[in-house]
Amino acid sequence: MYPPALQDLIDLFSSLPESERREMLINLAETAPLHAPQEGQTFDLEDVRKDEECTDTVGVFLRAAPDGTISYKISLGPQVQTLTRAMTSILCQGLNGSTPAAILEVPADFVPKIVGAELVRLRSQTVYYVLTRMKSAAKVHLNRLRAAAAGPS
Amino acid sequence: MSDPFSAYAHPEALVSTDWLADNLDAPGIRIVESNEDVLLYETGHIPGAIHIDWRRDLNDQTIRDYIGPEAFAALCARSGITPDTTVIFYGDKSNWWSCYALWVFHLFGHTKCQILNGGRSKWVAEARPLTRSLPAIEPVAYPVPPRRRDAEIRAFYAETLAHMQSGLPLVDVRSPGEFSGEVTHMPEYPQEGVLRGGHIPSAHSMPWARAANPDGTFKSPEELRALYADALGLKTDDDIIAYCRIGERSSHTWFVLKYLLGYQKVRNYDGSWTEWGNMVRSPIERR
Repeated sequence: MYPPALQDLIDLFSSLPESERREMLINLAETAPLHAPQEGQTFDLEDVRKDEECTDTVGVFLRAAPDGTISYKISLGPQVQTLTRAMTSILCQGLNGSTPAAILEVPADFVPKIVGAELVRLRSQTVYYVLTRMKSAAKVHLNRLRAAAAGPS
Repeated sequence: MSDPFSAYAHPEALVSTDWLADNLDAPGIRIVESNEDVLLYETGHIPGAIHIDWRRDLNDQTIRDYIGPEAFAALCARSGITPDTTVIFYGDKSNWWSCYALWVFHLFGHTKCQILNGGRSKWVAEARPLTRSLPAIEPVAYPVPPRRRDAEIRAFYAETLAHMQSGLPLVDVRSPGEFSGEVTHMPEYPQEGVLRGGHIPSAHSMPWARAANPDGTFKSPEELRALYADALGLKTDDDIIAYCRIGERSSHTWFVLKYLLGYQKVRNYDGSWTEWGNMVRSPIERR
């Protein structure tokens, strides 16, 4: 159902008491810059924008491997909330190395399992936003592959 | 040094980052951080500050309302706040939620409250100290307030409707797009479950952000008077109701009108647009 690395993170969070869950989320939020693109790196797809429903710019950078899997780098503007930063680290760790098709199949119901009921709020809904953007990039990439495989029309 | 806030109607309602930095250990104060970002306090906070979470600590967990007097007394007791404690609020989002928390404290008659001008962002921008250490709080006694002062500083739907029908001033503090009905969410935020767009008929539009400087501090008294007295024509003895979507941005405006400009009768309609815009047959104006 979930990519193995994401399943591992879900299992880890499910076993944590609330205080440790929050501590882990903060630690993950602080590591979000490690998942940002570095100077000189190249990607197969770049999607940097600020949507109405997010507090700052989010950039999604996708790179495809020869074996058909993909990996992501994510850039976040300074106003992005702590929970969304944490979710970015979780998603990069959990989804990198999966196929685009597998990523498109990932249901969003794991978010409350990781974040916990206490932190899931209306004003925290942008934690779903990064997953939506990553799926959107995976879909564009998949469509490009399909178009290339079909050849010139 | 002269009081930087002396030109405001109630200078005692504000503290500066300079003053707070020099008085972190002053007796008789409790520093409280209240944010929209639910994990922000835990990433680092002003030394000695405690966290009051608007939803967990101030809202009733079942119905849409605030906590009652017993729960407020318990909150203060475990937070080391006595009736004589001066509570200094600060937070993210230009102090939206700290003004909201201050307003809730006023609902219970705890008026020894101040706002850190500029909030968390100014403290951080000035590279002042933050800590992740939680302060050791000695629980204290806090008597249960006899009542919640809803009638004085809070407006409900029926009162707001009557207010509108009487032609009394209403201040809509949402963004221009929300006021016009063009959008049903505030910019940069998800939809919060409102079915209709627009504003309460006859309401003035004065977005909360016009009262704040880019660094989160409040604008000068002259600038604020230009907005509310000159542009909107509000008089200090007017009976005024402010509203937004759920009452946090209008808490900011409530604080500005009541404590920085000295308006005598200002109420916050915390049901705001998420109640008004969903109410069957509620009158709505769009433009």
